[in-house]
Amino acid sequence: MKIESRERDGAVVVALVGEVDLQHSPSVRKHLMELMFDRRPVVVDMTAVEYIDSSGIASLVEAYQAARKNGTRFVLAAVSQPAMRVLQLARLDKVFALADTVEAGLSA
Amino acid sequence: MRVEERPQHLPAALADDLDLIAEMTADFARSLDIEETLRLGLAHISSRMEAEAASIFLMEPGTGELVCRACFGPADVTGLRLPKGQGIVWRAVNRNATELVRDATDDPDFAHQVDNNTGFVTRSILCAPMAVRDERLGAIELFNKKGGGSFDADDRRVLQALAASAALALINARQAADMAEQKALKHELSLAADIQRAMLPPQRPPEFPIHGINLPARGVSGDFFDVVELTGGKIAFAIADVSGKGMNAAMLMSKTASLFRCLAKRLDGPGAVLAAIDSELAETSSAGMFVTMVAGILDPAAGNVVLANAGHEPPLLCCGASLTRIDEGMPPLGIVPDLFSQGCPESTIELNGGALYLFTDGLTEAGGTEAMLGSDGVARMLAPHRVRPAPDRLRALVAQVAEAGLALKDDLTMLVVEDVRDQPAMNRQYQARPASLSAIRHDLGHALSALGVCGPVIPDIVLAVDEACQNVIRHAYGGGEGEMIVQLRGDHDHVDIRLIDFAPTIDPASVCPRDLNDVRPGGLGTHFIREVMDNVEFLAPPPGTGNLLRMAKRIGGHENRKP
Repeated sequence: MKIESRERDGAVVVALVGEVDLQHSPSVRKHLMELMFDRRPVVVDMTAVEYIDSSGIASLVEAYQAARKNGTRFVLAAVSQPAMRVLQLARLDKVFALADTVEAGLSA
Repeated sequence: MRVEERPQHLPAALADDLDLIAEMTADFARSLDIEETLRLGLAHISSRMEAEAASIFLMEPGTGELVCRACFGPADVTGLRLPKGQGIVWRAVNRNATELVRDATDDPDFAHQVDNNTGFVTRSILCAPMAVRDERLGAIELFNKKGGGSFDADDRRVLQALAASAALALINARQAADMAEQKALKHELSLAADIQRAMLPPQRPPEFPIHGINLPARGVSGDFFDVVELTGGKIAFAIADVSGKGMNAAMLMSKTASLFRCLAKRLDGPGAVLAAIDSELAETSSAGMFVTMVAGILDPAAGNVVLANAGHEPPLLCCGASLTRIDEGMPPLGIVPDLFSQGCPESTIELNGGALYLFTDGLTEAGGTEAMLGSDGVARMLAPHRVRPAPDRLRALVAQVAEAGLALKDDLTMLVVEDVRDQPAMNRQYQARPASLSAIRHDLGHALSALGVCGPVIPDIVLAVDEACQNVIRHAYGGGEGEMIVQLRGDHDHVDIRLIDFAPTIDPASVCPRDLNDVRPGGLGTHFIREVMDNVEFLAPPPGTGNLLRMAKRIGGHENRKP
């Protein structure tokens, strides 16, 4: 999988591309937690997430909790259908801040 | 080496001699063909040493005779042979000392015959042997100092130095040639091994009913196995062992393998195939060589095998706890013509859900100082691996032979033929590590589709199994090395997935889903498994394994079935 980061409107847009599984979730977690440490607002672009497992979800939860503590923004945007299914199974679709598009996530 | 300047205090004659030795030594060091260098250098040596004629004699390895390989002067004696012990040259060689003969007519060993034949008149001779340690290589011989005088002690020292240098160069060149030959031979052997490997059938998916493994004890193998799919869903197979080892066994193996591949599709039944191979081998093969071979045809739909055995280790039928040797058979192939003219008897074996093992004596004879393993030993070795998919089972068996310190004296080849009527639709072994998960998801997705399951239930089941595998990797093995097996059974309406590992057995009570009201990382996986699957339970693990997790799901809703 790939992690692509870019700055936009004062926030960082992190695009996750491919399969976020046990092999790759440690690098996703590290990437997100470094942004949280810098107290940057983050929009996670999940358009191209083909698969995510409990370890991938756990990385998002950990970043989300850190953002809450910091009082910074952490939004999951354009969540792909397979990723949404897993968020629903975890009953976390009501917990995360979700946006339909990256633009909506930036202006939320 | 080059002598650039002449030191002022050396006499001119000595300086000339040193120049000659230096030039020739440098030529030898540069040369790729020492004999050619000697031939070319001979004229140079003759003129610098003021000889009227010169010859080089080299020892011929086969005959032990000295043969003239080069000459310079008015008479051409190239090719002249000196039988053992005759003449000045032999005297120099036998004594390993330089011979200075001031007047040849006075010397009792001088061979007048050559002068008589050529018309050359020999006066004085200087002959230096070429030898390295105890190996006699030949000699350099000079005739008649120009101007009428004789060779002297200075000439003797110079020629002795030249001969020593030439001898070293000759022996070096021979050793280099030997090494190059060995290297070329090694390369050819590895090419032959490549060709042999290419003759083995391709690796098929683990669920295919027949699998084999071949481990040569050296580069090339005298064993082979083959699997050929026939029309009508039947599958022909064979395993064979050629008597002897090394290159000639490998060549006979290649011939037998080609014959089998060609005949298996054309002839009706394994008995006819063996009889045809026998008649071909008996006619053309070299004396004392023979082939032991089992050929068979599996009917996967009926679960039976038709077998014919020509002198090979009896196959073992492994059915539940029972083990049967299939003993019937004929002598080996290629011994006497017409031994198989009445055909080769066939027997039909019902697999009854079991598996037939065929092997070469590399396995049964893989005993060190211990008694040979024998068929019972094979059965004991098989027991802990029976749960593994066939290709992994064969690899585990071979690894066990190696691990037990049972040296591979012979090539080791094994073939397993399974009754696949009640086999899982998917049965695959993976390394228990995160990098395997992507392949597991891919394989399982395909296998579910092949069962007729479709729609959104596939990614759900794949997620549940992925999570269960993660538990094995993270908790059962705790990050250590190991394997896990994923099995899928069922149909479009109901799937049963089993996950087997070889880790220490864990307490099922310690595995529980997390409280969903507690938003924290981790602990989600087990919840996913229970949410997706209808029934999740740990069953008693099969012998030799650690844990068996069974996950079952009824496929509800028409969107999840193929129309």
